[in-house]
Amino acid sequence: MPQRGRTRVGAGVRVVVGGLLLAAIAGTASASASPSAPDQGDRVTLTVGLMQDLDTPNVTAGFLVSSYEVWNLQYATLTDKAAADFATQPGLAESWVVGDGGLSYTYTLREGLQWSDGQPLTADDVAFTINTSRDQEWINHSSITADLDATVIDDRTVKITSSVPDPKLPIMDAYILPKHIWEPVAQGDITTYDALDGVGSGPFTLQEWKSGQSWTMAANPSYYKGVPAIDQVVFRVFTNADAMVAALRKGEIDAAHLVPSSSFESLGNTEGIEAVFGQQGGFTELAMNGMAGGLGDGHPALQDLEVRHAIHRAIDKQALFDRVILGLGTPGVSLSVSPDPAWRPEIPEDEQYTYDPAAANDALDAAGYLDTDGNGIREMPGGGQELVFRYAERSESDIAAPVRELITGFLEAVGIGTTVDVFDDTQLTEVIASGEYDLFVWGWTPFVDPDPMLSYFTCAQLTTDVEAVGYNDANWCSPEYDELYAQQNVELDRATRVGIVQKMLRLFYDESTYVVLFEDADLQGYRTDRFTGWTRQPAETGPVLFSNSSPTYFLLQPIDGGAGDDGGLGTGVVVLLVAGGAAILGVGGALLFRSRQNQDERD
Amino acid sequence: MRPRFVFGKVLGALSTLVFVVVVNFFLFRIVNDDPVESMFRGRNLSADQKDRLRQQFNLDGSKLQQFWAYARELVSGNLGISLQSRRPVTTEIGEALWPTIALVGTATTLSMVVGVLIGIRAGWRRRSAFDVSSTTLSMFTYSVPDFWLAMLSLGLFSVQLGIFPTGGLEDAGTTASGLALLADRLHHMTLPCLVLAIAYVGEYAIVMRSSMLDTVREDYLQLARAKGLRDVEVRRRHAVPNAVLPVVSLSALNFGFVLSGSIAVESIFSWPGLGQATLEAIRGPDFPMLQGLFLLFSAAVIAANLIVDLLYGYLDPRVGGR
Repeated sequence: MPQRGRTRVGAGVRVVVGGLLLAAIAGTASASASPSAPDQGDRVTLTVGLMQDLDTPNVTAGFLVSSYEVWNLQYATLTDKAAADFATQPGLAESWVVGDGGLSYTYTLREGLQWSDGQPLTADDVAFTINTSRDQEWINHSSITADLDATVIDDRTVKITSSVPDPKLPIMDAYILPKHIWEPVAQGDITTYDALDGVGSGPFTLQEWKSGQSWTMAANPSYYKGVPAIDQVVFRVFTNADAMVAALRKGEIDAAHLVPSSSFESLGNTEGIEAVFGQQGGFTELAMNGMAGGLGDGHPALQDLEVRHAIHRAIDKQALFDRVILGLGTPGVSLSVSPDPAWRPEIPEDEQYTYDPAAANDALDAAGYLDTDGNGIREMPGGGQELVFRYAERSESDIAAPVRELITGFLEAVGIGTTVDVFDDTQLTEVIASGEYDLFVWGWTPFVDPDPMLSYFTCAQLTTDVEAVGYNDANWCSPEYDELYAQQNVELDRATRVGIVQKMLRLFYDESTYVVLFEDADLQGYRTDRFTGWTRQPAETGPVLFSNSSPTYFLLQPIDGGAGDDGGLGTGVVVLLVAGGAAILGVGGALLFRSRQNQDERD
Repeated sequence: MRPRFVFGKVLGALSTLVFVVVVNFFLFRIVNDDPVESMFRGRNLSADQKDRLRQQFNLDGSKLQQFWAYARELVSGNLGISLQSRRPVTTEIGEALWPTIALVGTATTLSMVVGVLIGIRAGWRRRSAFDVSSTTLSMFTYSVPDFWLAMLSLGLFSVQLGIFPTGGLEDAGTTASGLALLADRLHHMTLPCLVLAIAYVGEYAIVMRSSMLDTVREDYLQLARAKGLRDVEVRRRHAVPNAVLPVVSLSALNFGFVLSGSIAVESIFSWPGLGQATLEAIRGPDFPMLQGLFLLFSAAVIAANLIVDLLYGYLDPRVGGR
C-alpha cells in the first residue's frame, strides 16, 4: 500500500509538472505585446531575418538599426530620397517653394493625405513634429530640427524657417508623427511611451511586436503612393547568424540581413538566392593619437607628419581587404562622410599614400628615426624613446584580431613595435578620451548628409576634459579644416558645397591621423524565386534592406506561386511528429522498464 | 526541525540576497560606468542631450546616490526601466521567463528522470554491458559542450533533414492559437530541449550510478536479501530510496539554475528566453536589466539552496536538530 500511495503522488507530481511546463509553453503568448494581431491567412508575407531585436518602436527613444527600419516603413517624411542616388523627391509634400534667401521653405502637402487609422494628415502634424522635437530635443529628430521653426499656413501648407542658413534644406527627412497620438504622450515622459499604436503614414505600420522573437508590419491602405503589393512584412529575430542563413536556404525567410562573410559566397551560388554586399559608406580606420586635445600621453613620434605618412605607406590595405573582409567591400582611401559617393574627392593614385614599405623605411630614416641599437625597433631622432606604440584593440569586433595581426606585422616591417591592449567599446571610449593610447582601429557609418561626419573632426569636438567627451577621436585639429567646415555648413549651392567638402577630405587625408583601411558592407541575401523588385539604395553599391530610406519593401512584387510558402511543416504534420515522438518515447520507456523487470525476475 | 534552525537558514539566505543586490549594483558599474557613451556612439548627440539621457537613466548622481535610489525602489518591488526598451524590467523579464522555464525546465526534468533510471540500472549491475555502455555514453554527454551539440543538431536536423525549424519559439508572425500554437511551439522546442537534456543527462546518470554503487555494498541490503526479498524488491524498497538522496539535492540545486537557462543553447536556437535577454542587456550595458536578471538568477539559486537545507533538516534529524 505505501508504494501504491507513493505511486499516486508521483503520478500527480508528474501531471502537475507536465501541466506547468505545457502552460509555460502555451502561456508565452500572453507575454507578447499585441495591439492587433494580423490575420495571416492567405496574405502575401515577406519574412526578413535579422540579428537584432527592436529596442523600442518609440522614435523619440530608440537608437538601434532595427528600429530605424520600422520608422522608415511607418512614418513618411516631407521629402523622399530616390532609391538610385538619394536625390530629393516629393514625399508627403508634393512641392515646395524657397523664400527668405534660402532661410525658409514653404511645403505643400499632397491632397487627401491620411494616417493609417483614417485621420487626416495635415500641416498641423508636420508643425507639431518639428516644433516639439526641437523643444524636447528628441534624439532622432534634433539634428534636423534644432534650428527650425514650423508654421501652419493652412491644412496643406506649412512654412519651415531655419534660424541659420541650412544647406540640408529643402530635404526634410524627419519622421512626421501623428499629432492626435503623440501630443498627449508628449505631455509626460515621451520616451517611455510604448509606441505600439500602429498609426503611421508610410507603406507599412507596426501591428505586433513579440519581444526577442519577431515583429509584424501590415500594409497601409492609406499610403500616398498606393497600397503595397505585399500584405505584411514579418521581421524574425535570430541570435545565430548561421541559423539565419540556413533559414534563408530552407525558405523559412525571404531575406537575411547581416549574413556572415563565411557564408556569403556559397549563399550567392545557391539557386533562387541572390547575395549582395551593400555599402552605405561605413568604414574601418586605423587612428593615431594626434594629441591635439592636450590630454594623455600619446607617443611624440605620432605628432610628426612624416611618421604618420610612413605608417600610412606601411599598411597594405589590399591585404586587409582580401584577407579580413574577404573582398566584400572596397579598400579605403579618403574619409567616407556619406553613402553618396559624390562627396568624395578623387585623389590621383600618385598622390595617395599607397603601400610601399621601402618608401616608408626611407622616409623614417631620412627623418632621423633610426634603429641605433640594432633590436629591429627605431628610436626617436637622436636616440632615446623607441617607436613602440600602444595598440588598443576592440574586444567587440569580430575582425579586430586579424586586423591587429596584419597591422602589427606591417609596422614591424618598418621598424615600429607595438604593444596590444584589448578593451570593450566603453573602455576604449574612455581610453581615447583620456588620450592614453597611440593607435586604435574602429569604424564609423555616416549619415547621408556629410555634415555630422565632418563635424566630428573639428577642434570643437576635441576632448579637452574627460568629463565632456567629444567625437574627435582622431585627436587632430586644424583651423583650416574648421574654416572650411563653417563654410560648407552654410553653403546653399550644392556644387560649391561638394567642392568645399572634397577639399576638407583631401586635407584630412593628407594629415593622415586616420588611415581608412577599408569600406565594409552589409552582407545580405534574398530569395529571387518569391519576390521581384529588390532595390538597392544607392543603385549598384547599396543594400536592398536597411538602407537609408528602405524603398525595397514598397517596390516588391510577389511571384505567382512563390510567396507565402514558408517551407515549414504543416501543423498537422507537426502534431503527428510530436505525437509520434511521444509514442516512441513511451513505448521505449515501457520496453526498457519491462526488460529490466524481466532481468530482475531472472536475477 | 527547531525554529532556530529554520530561522538561521532563512536569515542566511536573506543576507546572501542582500549581498548579491549590493555586488550586482556596483560590479556592473565598475566595468562600465557610462552606458550613454557606448550606446549612443556616432549618433551626433549634443552634450546636453547626453546629460539628459543620463538623467533619464538615473546615472547622473554619485554611485552611492544611485544605489540608494535603486534600493528604495527595489524594496517596493520596482526593478526600474530598461535603458534600451524604456519598458519596465519586470515586464521584460516576465516575457523572457516562461520560454526559459519551458525549455530548461523540461530538459532538466527529462534528463533527471532518464539519468536516474540509467544510473539505477548501471549501478545495480556493475560492469554489465549496459553499465559499460551507459557510463561511457554518460561521460561523453557530460563532457561534450552543449553549444557544440546544439550546432551539430541544428545542422543535421534543421538544415540537412529539415525536420525542425532553425530556431525561435514559434513560426514568426504566426496567428495560430490553442492546440495549433501549442503544437507549433513544441515543434520549435523539441530540438533545443533534446540537446539540453542530452547535455544534462550524463551528470544525473553518473551521480546516481555512483550513489548506487555505494549503496549496494551496505549491510542492510544483505539483510534484506537474507529476509528473502526478491532482488527487484531489495532495489526498489531499500537501495534506490537511500541512493537517490544525492540526486535529490543535485536536482534541487539544478532547478535553481533553470532560470539562468542556457545562454549558449538559447542563442544558437534564437530562443527568446532569459539567456538571450542577458546577452542583450550585457551589450548595452543595460544596468537595470542586468541587475534584475542577476537578482532573479541569484534568488532562484538561493531559494533552491534554502529548500535543500530545510529539506535535509527535515529528513535528517542530525542536521535539523529535531
